[in-house]
Amino acid sequence: MNQIYRQARYDVHDIFEEHCVERKIADNPLPDNIARKEAPQIPDMPEYEVIRHFTRLSQMNYGIDSGFYPLGSCTMKFNPKYSELLCRETKALDIHPYQPEDTVQGTLRIMYELQQMLAEISGMDAVTLQPAAGAHGEMTGLMIINEYHRKKGEERNEIILPDTAHGTNPASASMLGYKTIEIPSKEGCVDIKALEEAVGENTAAFMLTNPNTLGIFEKDALKIAEIIHDAGGLLYYDGANLNAIMGKTCPGKMNFDIMHFNLHKTLATPHGGGGPGSGPVAVTKDLRSYLPVPIVEKAEGKYYLEYDLENSIGRIKGFYGNWLVLLRAYAYILKEGSDGITAISERAVLNSNYLRKQLEDVLELPYGELRKHEFVLSGSSLKKKGLRTLDIAKRLLDYGYHAPTIYFPLIVDEALMIEPTETERKETLDGFVNALRAIMEEDVETVSSAPHNTAVKRVDDTQASREPILSYRMRLNKR
Amino acid sequence: MKDEKEMLEYLGIDSVDELFADVPEAVKHEIDLPNGISEMEVMQKVKNHLSGNKSLEDMVCFLGGGIYRQYVPAGVSEIIGRSEFYTSYTPYQAEISQGMLRALFEYQSLICELTGMEAANTSMYDHHTALGEAVRMAGRIGKRKRKRFLIPENIHWDRLPVLKNYLIGSDIEIELVPFDEEKGTIDVEALKDKVGEDTLGFYVESPNAFGVLEENIKLFKDLREDTGAVMIAGVNPLSLALLKPPSEWGADIVVGDSQPFGIPPSFGGPTVGIFACGKKHIRKMPGRMIGETVDADGKTAYCMTLQTREQHIRRERATSNICTNEALSALASTVYILLKGGKGLEETAKGCYNKAHRLANMIDELDGYSAPYFTGDFFNEFVVELPVDKDKLTAEAGAKNVLPGIYLDGYFTGFNRRMLTAVGDTTTEEDMKLLTEVLKEVSP
Repeated sequence: MNQIYRQARYDVHDIFEEHCVERKIADNPLPDNIARKEAPQIPDMPEYEVIRHFTRLSQMNYGIDSGFYPLGSCTMKFNPKYSELLCRETKALDIHPYQPEDTVQGTLRIMYELQQMLAEISGMDAVTLQPAAGAHGEMTGLMIINEYHRKKGEERNEIILPDTAHGTNPASASMLGYKTIEIPSKEGCVDIKALEEAVGENTAAFMLTNPNTLGIFEKDALKIAEIIHDAGGLLYYDGANLNAIMGKTCPGKMNFDIMHFNLHKTLATPHGGGGPGSGPVAVTKDLRSYLPVPIVEKAEGKYYLEYDLENSIGRIKGFYGNWLVLLRAYAYILKEGSDGITAISERAVLNSNYLRKQLEDVLELPYGELRKHEFVLSGSSLKKKGLRTLDIAKRLLDYGYHAPTIYFPLIVDEALMIEPTETERKETLDGFVNALRAIMEEDVETVSSAPHNTAVKRVDDTQASREPILSYRMRLNKR
Repeated sequence: MKDEKEMLEYLGIDSVDELFADVPEAVKHEIDLPNGISEMEVMQKVKNHLSGNKSLEDMVCFLGGGIYRQYVPAGVSEIIGRSEFYTSYTPYQAEISQGMLRALFEYQSLICELTGMEAANTSMYDHHTALGEAVRMAGRIGKRKRKRFLIPENIHWDRLPVLKNYLIGSDIEIELVPFDEEKGTIDVEALKDKVGEDTLGFYVESPNAFGVLEENIKLFKDLREDTGAVMIAGVNPLSLALLKPPSEWGADIVVGDSQPFGIPPSFGGPTVGIFACGKKHIRKMPGRMIGETVDADGKTAYCMTLQTREQHIRRERATSNICTNEALSALASTVYILLKGGKGLEETAKGCYNKAHRLANMIDELDGYSAPYFTGDFFNEFVVELPVDKDKLTAEAGAKNVLPGIYLDGYFTGFNRRMLTAVGDTTTEEDMKLLTEVLKEVSP
């Protein structure tokens, strides 16, 4: 039976209104012309009130530890607890980026080995751990692409993408000044003919995720690579969907030149309510010298930071990357090993296909059957009932499930993008199917006014953007 | 798992391999890593690796340079360790994510109180990338046809290279402004000369790379008002407990790093990039923002807002490509600030300021040393001029487990024998005595 969910619902007091007092700063040691006179409005609360406040807020928040989180393309898998414990080690936390290399050999070793592990998983040759997130990795990869063509004396200003690409792909490309060329998909995959027509002497790169965002494996990967390489372009792999293929295939074997990982997706580091993540970039050996500096190297049994890379794009962030995220991913790879990692992709794909088949007769499944780690349903049939995909998503919250990704990819009308990941058992998937079936039978009013069991009712995001209140100060000034 | 068989049967297949039948033989790949090990073995192995580190608990640390060792109250890790927070995704589904949304709204509010700005986003990756985004944003909010953006040479050494990469593909041109070699602040005359009707904007970092506080804040405000240039301020938020807020320096955008608020040094990452601006520019901001609104019952509620600026909606026309940010670290900073409270923060900032000045005096009294090297006032770190080469000091200090500072010769030309020395609230009187003893010993 479906368990109806009840989220905590506190009337949380406004900490600013309750705990701030206007106050002058006494004995400010700063020179008078730069010294602040009025103290900033920061609440003064006893410790127990602060802890209670955030404990209550946590109870009004849903994490993967709370339940099923089938958020497509986000790979919300269980975050192992040993990694969290390791990150609380003093020797992981209490180390400074400028302390001498011989006092951080443990960290450098872990980073060095992680670079190698990621290279092995991806079939690439060299890795930088610096990018702080997937989109940051994309940007780094595109900087490398930019520098590579520049060094060759070529001006290539176009990035080609399929219409199923993640939003970060075109956003990253245009941040670097590239013109983006979107090619339409054919039966859910890259249209080879359209790609052939799109490439040319201006093509800097083609960005692709495989399996694509419909969860379909692009079988023509090698042909795609050939077309791009023949045109003198590079091939970029968006690693967001890597969870589908580990130990089965890899970007290196598919002749990609550059890729990023999302450690906070594929390698089970927590999403943290939006971050921190980590987006290492891997390249072929021809592009190693373009990586940002420093990378971690080893010589005579010592690990060190290498700054001397001939064509390096330089720096993309402060320091060396999100070390605590890297540490978690390293522990996860050690724990799982080759066999475990392969089993992860197998189970992720099995769960996805099981769920896909269960739901095919509940909502329409555009494009072919076999999927990898995720699949996309269309809620277009709901419209005649006066419902939208958004309503279904909100109603699922009442059943204790996080909603799938909705309205993406853009080529599917009223899309629901579902990625169960490997860390779910059949019973959970069945429960989700039952919930979705039950929702289809419910009266329209119940669904269209959902959610009912969460901390708040449906949130008015139109008002939020029409009259933005982004801070306590902005609210006060509005009054 | 035992349910695998049932699922395979339901799909009408014998093995999961059939689900990979669409992967061509030519691209098949097996991973060549050791097989998995038990959790216990993982813990043993990783801890063993980590034992190759020497933590700052085992050394006396005077390193700063953007990462400061401030005590983190126990409550911070308790709260960010709650899995309802750390295992949640970006709060796109507002109704089930009110906790994180509200906490991040409080983060934005606290950053606004400290900076004097009206709006802040929920974080950038770090100070460096926040500056990159800020200068790009200056291109969106600044006067048309202006391209020249001024960057002083006294900012953290790694920020300029990051910024240059962030400006690939933009038509903004960077021009450097020298610093006053005596004070360590921006060369005011040079800045006045360079800021004109064709200047897109200028950046000021205070405290800057030398720990020095910029004193001419009125000038910045006047320059901005006179020329219409966009002013970006870079801050250490802890200093803002005592320093006039950047809104009073004329800042249009404020960037910084919230690391001193509840985030251990962590080898430099993750930290939190601060990004704040005035109300009129919010639709041009990069990154995620949380807005206050109401739910269907009219009850106060929070949601991500102004999302049409962002990549998942606007794609190639987005204000930035940023998606994943540093939300949990922003939560850590929020908890830290509230645990300290307004008064506690002020005391912590005063403590750092006073300790840094006491240490500078102690060092300055030693033969051959000059501290602070620059005459401008400073916050929690300062430059020391050494009478010896760094190798000699490193060896002596290393033997006593002291990290005396960051040698600046690799980052600024002509900075041989100059060191950046920082204190934190964790620095004790004994630590400072030990440092001065080491410095005294190596003095020729």
